[in-house]
Amino acid sequence: MSAVLQLSNVVKAYGDLRALNGIDLALPDDSYVSLLGPSGSGKTTLLRVIAGFEQPESGAIRFSGKDVTHTPPHQRNIGFVFQNFALFPHLSVYDNIAFGLINRAVDPVTDMKLVDRKVRDMIALVGLAGLEDRATTQISGGQKQRVALARTLVTEPQMVLLDEPLGALDANLRARMRSELRMIRERCGVTFLHVTGSETEALAMGDTVLVLDRARIAQQGDSDTIYNRPCSPAVARFLNCYNLFAGRMADGGFASAQGLLGFRGEPQKAADPAYAIRYDRIDIRPAGASAAADEVQIEGTFIASEYTGSAVNAFFSLDDGKVFEVEAHLSHRAPDNYESHKRYALAWKKEDALVFA
Amino acid sequence: MTMTAITEETETGKAASARPSGKTLWLLAPGVLWMLLFLVLPLAMMLYVSFWTQTTFKIEPTLTLKSWVTFFTSETYLGALWTTVRIWLIVLVATIVVGYPAALFVGLFVKNKTLQTVLLVLCVIPFWTSFLIRVLAWRPMLGKEGAINMILMKIGVITQPIEVLLFSELSVIIGMTQIYCVFMVGPIAFMLGRIDPSIIEAAKDLGAGFWRIFRTIILPLSMPGVVVGAIFVSVMVLGEFATSAALSGRKVNLLGNIIVTQVGSLKWAFAAVAGVVLTILMGAVVAALLRVVDLRKEL
Repeated sequence: MSAVLQLSNVVKAYGDLRALNGIDLALPDDSYVSLLGPSGSGKTTLLRVIAGFEQPESGAIRFSGKDVTHTPPHQRNIGFVFQNFALFPHLSVYDNIAFGLINRAVDPVTDMKLVDRKVRDMIALVGLAGLEDRATTQISGGQKQRVALARTLVTEPQMVLLDEPLGALDANLRARMRSELRMIRERCGVTFLHVTGSETEALAMGDTVLVLDRARIAQQGDSDTIYNRPCSPAVARFLNCYNLFAGRMADGGFASAQGLLGFRGEPQKAADPAYAIRYDRIDIRPAGASAAADEVQIEGTFIASEYTGSAVNAFFSLDDGKVFEVEAHLSHRAPDNYESHKRYALAWKKEDALVFA
Repeated sequence: MTMTAITEETETGKAASARPSGKTLWLLAPGVLWMLLFLVLPLAMMLYVSFWTQTTFKIEPTLTLKSWVTFFTSETYLGALWTTVRIWLIVLVATIVVGYPAALFVGLFVKNKTLQTVLLVLCVIPFWTSFLIRVLAWRPMLGKEGAINMILMKIGVITQPIEVLLFSELSVIIGMTQIYCVFMVGPIAFMLGRIDPSIIEAAKDLGAGFWRIFRTIILPLSMPGVVVGAIFVSVMVLGEFATSAALSGRKVNLLGNIIVTQVGSLKWAFAAVAGVVLTILMGAVVAALLRVVDLRKEL
């Protein structure tokens, strides 16, 4: 697969604040890429720089073989789907979708029959048939989302940027739009770069997942790698499925506030040392139970649990006040009842732990 | 038992919210009374008086069409009507031509909200002085030995002072455009400020250049502002008499000036005819402007 978009050492600063601090990335052609990052990590800035709404201070952007660093947005042929949809409020659904074809500066379509055919095809593709003449104020959130997408796709961009496209939709609709977005992308055969703050959305949608942390790309890989082998404590934290302990390497383990924690294998290189264990790899036992040789065991006080349908999340308070989370999948075992303020032993296999040093 | 009580209560509540009850209608009483006494009654009176019989020294409540016939056969009055319409149209176009770019700058290109407010307040500063001073200040500016002529002669653009600058229709138009321009800038800047910047970015991203975006997105979305501004300017210019009196040396007579002189010479019936004509003209202009844009839908 060839790279459709390539960023090298892109820096964007607002005053003293560096919103993007040397971004290097290459996105494959014809794939769904999701970009995960907490708010304030520079996600939207990165998209705006790629689209051309912001000029980077330094670095280069190559798009389908050409340097587009200083190309204005309307000549880049990169589609942008806005978080708030940004539909033209005075135009109908049909005219919103036809806007780009008729009004673009490069190669506008003057044959109205051709415009009509393309717009109708696109309306059918995104499932908006029958709503052509509605005003954009008379349609629902999900329909607005489709208009915004159709308006961009009809101009046949070589790449589409989506800025938290599902953020404004309710949970039900979000789940449905996820699979629809993937389906629409497959039919168009262009690269989608989908920005999101939700780790489940990023993992579910992306063929490739990028994790943005403090204005840099922290990790790039497929969902499985990102989830099981996060490359830094920060990435592990965004995934929202790891208990993390700070500390340092010591003889025979990792020295933390909970004592010496054992692990197998070599620690991964990272700037700030940490010990991570996934929520769903932990066994809860009565206090004082003995641990096997290949296990690590600590103790904590049960606080509360949260039922999510397919799993129960139990929260424990460790001796230093840190909250420790355990996820028990209900398909594996029936939930135990734990007593509040009672101490329990929390054990996991040494080989399940990830260590960064 | 409790259930029925609750349903009854909600039903009466619904009825009250759907149709204002007798009690709440009383809130309108002061306003309606005021408008009846001081707007509707005088308007009706004006219409009535326009049919009274006017002699040189007195006016009698004997109904006649004489004043109306005089108005529509007299060259002076018809001329004043035509001058009013002409000056109104020229000033309206001038305020749009001068005001729209300024509003575009303030409303769209000034991103900082504080700076936007400061610039709009700057537009209003001339209104801190009285109307008369603002109008009269044009005399030393436009006069034969005024600032503009002096400067143009100093730098050698002209050798003779331009006389048409003051005491002409041009000076009235210059003065009115300056005074009323801010009423055009305000509403347009307000509408432009309400345009979501991401809409313009979306249009750029879809490949449109600036002029295309201006024609297809910015201009249509600012039209309600233009219409509101045009209504302000039209109503004020059509009713004008002071600017034309002060800057035209009584050469330009608008309907407003006719009313002032007729009232001054106690010709109440003629003044009433001119008043009715002016009111109808204003009503027609406002109605036509409201046709351009459905304000209820846009605002």
